[in-house]
Amino acid sequence: MSTVLEVQGLSVAFGGIRAVDGVSFSAKRHAITTVIGPNGAGKSTLFNLISGLIRPHNGQVTLDGVDRTGASPHLMQRAGLGRSFQITNLFFELTVLENLRLAAQRLENVSRFLLPVKSSKEAFRRVDELVERFQLGSKLGELAGALSHGEQRRLEIAVALAAKPSILLLDEPTQGMSHADTADSAELIKSLAKDVTILLIEHDIGVVMDISDHIVVMHQGRKLTEGAPSVVRNDPAVKSAYFGDA
Amino acid sequence: MRDSANIMKTETATDRLGLAMRASHVLVAVFVVAALAFAAIGSWSGDTFFLRLATEALIFAGFALSVDILLGYTGLLSLGQALYFGLGAYVSAVVLKEVPSFWAAMGAALVSALVIGFVTGLVANRVRGVYFALVTFGLAQVAAKAVYNTRSLGASDGLIGVPIVPIDIGVTTVMSNSPVGFFLFTLAFIVVLYAICAYLLDTPFGRVLVALRANEARVPFLGYSTRHARLAAYVLAAVIATLSGALYPMLRGFVSPELLFFSTSGNAVITVVLGGVGTLVGALYGGVILTILKSVVGSMTEHHLIVIGLLFMGTVIFLPKGLMGFVRPRVERLISGKSK
Repeated sequence: MSTVLEVQGLSVAFGGIRAVDGVSFSAKRHAITTVIGPNGAGKSTLFNLISGLIRPHNGQVTLDGVDRTGASPHLMQRAGLGRSFQITNLFFELTVLENLRLAAQRLENVSRFLLPVKSSKEAFRRVDELVERFQLGSKLGELAGALSHGEQRRLEIAVALAAKPSILLLDEPTQGMSHADTADSAELIKSLAKDVTILLIEHDIGVVMDISDHIVVMHQGRKLTEGAPSVVRNDPAVKSAYFGDA
Repeated sequence: MRDSANIMKTETATDRLGLAMRASHVLVAVFVVAALAFAAIGSWSGDTFFLRLATEALIFAGFALSVDILLGYTGLLSLGQALYFGLGAYVSAVVLKEVPSFWAAMGAALVSALVIGFVTGLVANRVRGVYFALVTFGLAQVAAKAVYNTRSLGASDGLIGVPIVPIDIGVTTVMSNSPVGFFLFTLAFIVVLYAICAYLLDTPFGRVLVALRANEARVPFLGYSTRHARLAAYVLAAVIATLSGALYPMLRGFVSPELLFFSTSGNAVITVVLGGVGTLVGALYGGVILTILKSVVGSMTEHHLIVIGLLFMGTVIFLPKGLMGFVRPRVERLISGKSK
């Protein structure tokens, strides 16, 4: 399997605290790579470093074989990165349709940038695909802010996926969801991996073990270990990071 | 293809932004009809004063459009938009005094708007929110004081003696001193400015601006540089303001530094808030309402600013979306009911 994303020795410090410290791993094509670790381990900071929100002090981010270290978020998006956020980050005052259409409009030829939205066939075709896949058909005309939490989390993933990224970063997609919704989302994410490489942050350890192909364990900014779910599950260092030195 | 037919169906049924824009078009049509009726009455009764006052209202309405682009669509409060209105007025006056050609004045105003708008936009867009408001305010103050102290621009007296210009629009020629002719020309000009704004806001570019207002932090992950998008909106607003300002000396025959003062910027913001933020058409109605108020209340008492201040507060408290914020949703319901 080829590598889509490669992270090497990524580090950043905030006021002397090493939030992310020399982390290296890679995400293979069409696999689900999951980053786990206790609160404050630096998982979201790692996502922010990869997606360009924060510039790393050290290290390298390579996407599809090209060095993209320190590129701005909009350039990372154009390079093929899509991401969702831990705290739902949508255009709440716009409709579900417009959220999806906006997220898909980069697929449209640049020459259409100053032509009426109505003529954006490519974007609308993509919206249709997403609506079907994410079962948002009945909600298209509603404002994103009026959706239920579970629906918003689903829309958040759809928006991140809209521009057909080569890698999709999902930051706790099941956060705050009911048990049933969590299971549905896990199923959905697993099915997405057929078309896109996924890098996931997830707290629900059941979901993690169930859908991940590869797990990276972080603790206090460093990578503790990595490996297949069965390997990570039985690693004594992981147990002690989560439950203390018992 | 059944597929694309489906897409278009969902699109028209659920595109609220498109529907809102169509409702604005309807309200602009109403505005134009009312303006034409007014022009007919004015020309029949041989009026000059009210026609010229209404022309000024239209010019300031066009100016207010630029504030709505920034405030209503991009989410940027500029307190220095008078910089561009004044820029247009002065460039137009200077050019007209040298070459009495309407198109030369407009061309020069457009170029100056693009250049100055781009340069000041780079400065203003380094910051956001309150700081953006303060920087735009500061830029306009600097410009106002510079003009105020420049003798070749007439200093505190401004420039007088701007000649009457013939405006050749192909089919006919309008003289800038013809009350009804120039009123109708200005009406057409402002409607064209409105149409340009409305068109652009309904393109992927315009929707990026809407996205900026809705949630700026998310925009980079759509693949757009927020800085570039904000700069583009800023330059567009500068162009609209400058072109509106360029009509001013043709109407009044003079320009004065007051056009660059904060009161001009502030009035444009009040106009948009009264008319309805984020509706475009609100700028037109707001411009007329504010001008009528100033002139009618101003003829009764010299303390008309108190009345306008109270009205502004009343609007913000009781009609926070302005007049069009109240009227437009009703028009939307009307036209969406028809199309179904």
